[in-house]
Amino acid sequence: MKNLIYKELRLATPLLTFLFLAFSLMTFIPGYPILCGAFFMSFGIFQAYQLGREDNDILYSVLLPVSKRDVVKGKYLSAVILQLAGFALCALFTLIRMRFMADATVYENNFMMNANLIYLAFVLLIFAAFNHIFIGGFFKSAYAVGKPFVIFVVMNFLIIGIAETLHHLPGMGWMNAQDFSLRHIIIFIGAVLVYSTLTTFSCIISQNRFEKIDL
Amino acid sequence: MKILKIDGLCKNYPSFRLQDVSFSIDSGTIMGFIGRNGAGKTTTLKAIMNMVHAEKGKIEFFGLDMKEHEHEIKQRVGYAGGIIDYYKKKKISKLLEITARFYDNWDADVCQRYMKLFSLDENKTPSQLSEGMKVKLSLVMALSHRAELLILDEPTSGLDPISRDELLEIFLYLKSKGVSILFSTHITSDLDKCADDISYIRGGRIIYTGSIAGFTGSETLEEVMLRQEKEAFREKLDI
Repeated sequence: MKNLIYKELRLATPLLTFLFLAFSLMTFIPGYPILCGAFFMSFGIFQAYQLGREDNDILYSVLLPVSKRDVVKGKYLSAVILQLAGFALCALFTLIRMRFMADATVYENNFMMNANLIYLAFVLLIFAAFNHIFIGGFFKSAYAVGKPFVIFVVMNFLIIGIAETLHHLPGMGWMNAQDFSLRHIIIFIGAVLVYSTLTTFSCIISQNRFEKIDL
Repeated sequence: MKILKIDGLCKNYPSFRLQDVSFSIDSGTIMGFIGRNGAGKTTTLKAIMNMVHAEKGKIEFFGLDMKEHEHEIKQRVGYAGGIIDYYKKKKISKLLEITARFYDNWDADVCQRYMKLFSLDENKTPSQLSEGMKVKLSLVMALSHRAELLILDEPTSGLDPISRDELLEIFLYLKSKGVSILFSTHITSDLDKCADDISYIRGGRIIYTGSIAGFTGSETLEEVMLRQEKEAFREKLDI
């Protein structure tokens, strides 16, 4: 598996995908739907799949001495590594924004979602949706990238819409607080569970699908 | 010892099906897999390598079931499906470096020897190679990890006559080292030079599997194949 992940990151992942991790800096933008950063990071991973298709990456991977199931696992794990790197950056910038910049006027008067644990929870939900909808959809054919990505985009903006709406609802203002609370932590743990469960579940389904695909 | 045993392989497509494909290869022998275009050669080889999902049948390499021992088997088998058709814009050196990491028995010296033998420049990308040179690169990848069995899909097509002859020499050299080879071709003269056995497929069915002499008798392989294909074609015309 170590070799497969090396192959994924060294051969199948373009520089652009790594550069798109810089969209985690959107965490700092006031008055803007900062969850779009998670979308752009997902878009970076999508680029790897699109280029991988042009490069016939799946054919190359299957010819290597690995099982077809491991090819799928390698794809999921490399996406998870990139997402966790993006998430770590988002978490770092969230911490900086919460700890050192919370008093800034632009953040105090921020009408949009603040960078807090709820924001990080939604970042994970967007990544979970990407893994389940896009990567899972890709492995229906191991070729088509357009349709699963469009479905993911719709779901992604639905998630962003929900996240940006919730804290405006009566009694839900706590969701946008710029400090930690137990409720924030519970929601964040829930998002971690959704991310890990959905990604694992999607990986198993994709492995079973890929076994039956003719290359 | 049977190094590869295929038993009752079936695969259905809307317009074509592999029907009960069965044959086996002995250790240290070369088998030619022949048949006209569309007969099912590539589908069979891909099914053997688990690239095509077979609906029925058993595939055993070295006495091990392919479904259960895919990783171990692929370590000991070299597969080349014609030309290199992936990562055409990446440097060959990078492709070799990454591929080598996956094989326990990858031999960098052997790899360099074949690169030199085939006059391949590792600073080029596959897209800069001619079709024939792409076949050679594909062969280098299959030969560099000291495979015990080589499965090659049309390895000689696209090669010039000299390179083809050299490749057949390499096959005989590898055979003398105990390596078994299964290669598909429709160039029957290749088989006359190096194959011990043949498996002949037509319309997704194995028509014959065994020694060349047992198939040809007093005729040449090409004559027998042409005669049989003509007869089959005439039968179709009658319908």
